Amino acid sequence: MMGRTIFIDPGRCIGCQACVSACRECDSHRGKSMIHLDYPDEGHSVASLPTVCMHCEDPVAPCAEVCPADAILVTADGVVQQADTTRCIGCANCVNACPFGVPKIDLQAKLQMKCNLCYDRTAYGLAPMCATVCPTGALFYGTLDELRAERPGVQVADSFTFGTSTVTTGVAMVVPADKVQWPVPGGLPVVQINGKDVR
Amino acid sequence: MTEPPQTVEPTAPEPEATAPVPDGGAPQTPAAVRRRALLAGTAVSALLILAIVFGSRLLRDFDSALLPYAVATVFLAFGVAHRYTVWVSAPGARRLFRQGWRSFFSAANFRKAPTALPKMIATYLGFQKFLGARSHARWAAHQLLFWGCVLAALITFPLTWGWFTFTSGTGDGPGYEMRIWGFKVLGFDSLNILGWLMFHGLDIAAVLVIAGASFFLWRRMKDRGAVTGQRFAYDLIPLIALVVISVTGLLLTFSSIFLHGGGYEFLAILHMVSVVFTLIYIPFGKFFHIVQRPAAVGMQLFKYTSRRKDGAAEELQACRRCHEPIDTPAYVDNLRGTMRDLKLDFDEWAEYCPRCKRVLRGNAYLTHVKKGFR
Repeated sequence: MMGRTIFIDPGRCIGCQACVSACRECDSHRGKSMIHLDYPDEGHSVASLPTVCMHCEDPVAPCAEVCPADAILVTADGVVQQADTTRCIGCANCVNACPFGVPKIDLQAKLQMKCNLCYDRTAYGLAPMCATVCPTGALFYGTLDELRAERPGVQVADSFTFGTSTVTTGVAMVVPADKVQWPVPGGLPVVQINGKDVR
Repeated sequence: MTEPPQTVEPTAPEPEATAPVPDGGAPQTPAAVRRRALLAGTAVSALLILAIVFGSRLLRDFDSALLPYAVATVFLAFGVAHRYTVWVSAPGARRLFRQGWRSFFSAANFRKAPTALPKMIATYLGFQKFLGARSHARWAAHQLLFWGCVLAALITFPLTWGWFTFTSGTGDGPGYEMRIWGFKVLGFDSLNILGWLMFHGLDIAAVLVIAGASFFLWRRMKDRGAVTGQRFAYDLIPLIALVVISVTGLLLTFSSIFLHGGGYEFLAILHMVSVVFTLIYIPFGKFFHIVQRPAAVGMQLFKYTSRRKDGAAEELQACRRCHEPIDTPAYVDNLRGTMRDLKLDFDEWAEYCPRCKRVLRGNAYLTHVKKGFR
């Protein structure tokens, strides 16, 4: 987990889409929102889940590893940048390899785009756009100590399981205290019936 | 009668996952890659030296004043071949490289769609249509830069290698002959339009490059998106180098026309130094995208031909959950192979669309982590 990072608490998310709108104002991809807001149980629950790039640390950036054009740079501070415009060939390897479903692709422009932790802001110590506008604190930017100063005793997890693999990330999620020992399930279906996913 | 539901634990290794990874080639150690890259670099630069020697008719046509340029191109050939070999040895690039060339050499593919490749080369490499989708201004500026550089390369590389010669039977013109490898290809009058164009090709290239590079330099200072994460050595040096080469090149013409050759020798050295450093820099920085970009054509050809298998358009692989199309089955297999090469053991996940991955993770969080989330 990075020093200053985003902490996601889906339990606080009210699905207001403020983060989606604010993301569009980020200078590094102005006009295009890179954050995803999904409703996992739509029609039955108001639960919503904001997804920013998790900035995978171990294995380091699967998106960058599968990139055939070496287009995705990981800066020394652990931020996985969006694709270098001169190198990206628009193959979509990163889009389909990312375990969190983060990168977007413009097939006409042959260009991948993704959350870069608002590098134009975070590189200068400012919070990313999404965390700045989130009205409920579902997206919090800062250090773990700063988070705990606001929310005493809060626990976070920065590892996720996908089948037999565990991915450790730079961005963390808030979890209940009794769940902090285990990696967060990444959602890869673990049960199939007659070859069909039943989750 | 229906079959009883069978529950399987996907945590058990899938037969597919343990099978030998097809099309990935033998695993390569870093030392083996380095050796191969060194060999490729040496072979390509040796071939270039031979081509220079024989192309200049055993150095008879070689202009010794251009020796530093020729030496720089030999270093360039070594650097490009070395880095290219290292690049295509990485799993992601290696697999697409193989698939691209396989599609290229497939006679069946050629028969089915003979115009596909030339069209892709023209749109991706020549007219760079994808840049227009990013920004019309960037497309226009890049076209200026691209055609300027192509024109300059087509003129200067063969000149420095002694492949082109311009000679006049009368000593100082105006009738000139252009020869390639000693064979006369063109006779022209240096005072007519063709002659002017022939002798000012590099000036025209310089004007195109200055216009394009100036736009990108301006953008690198003003566009907040471009400024984000920009690095001086990677993003600005190449543009500055192109401007310096072009300006010093134009100054040579300026000196010969308006200054009667005043300062020509100094300017010639300045121009040469800027060109030599830029040529040697090509394999290391942003200019390497010139070498990498044809991979876009290989990738696109692979996707295109795998979609047209057996004549008809093949169905795209659907997401296992929502059934939205992901990509061609051949592409998804290729990606899964790449992920297995890289020990990213969640390659099965590539068969789900990005949205379903997120929704399933949200569901898992709802069910297993924080039930109160509901």
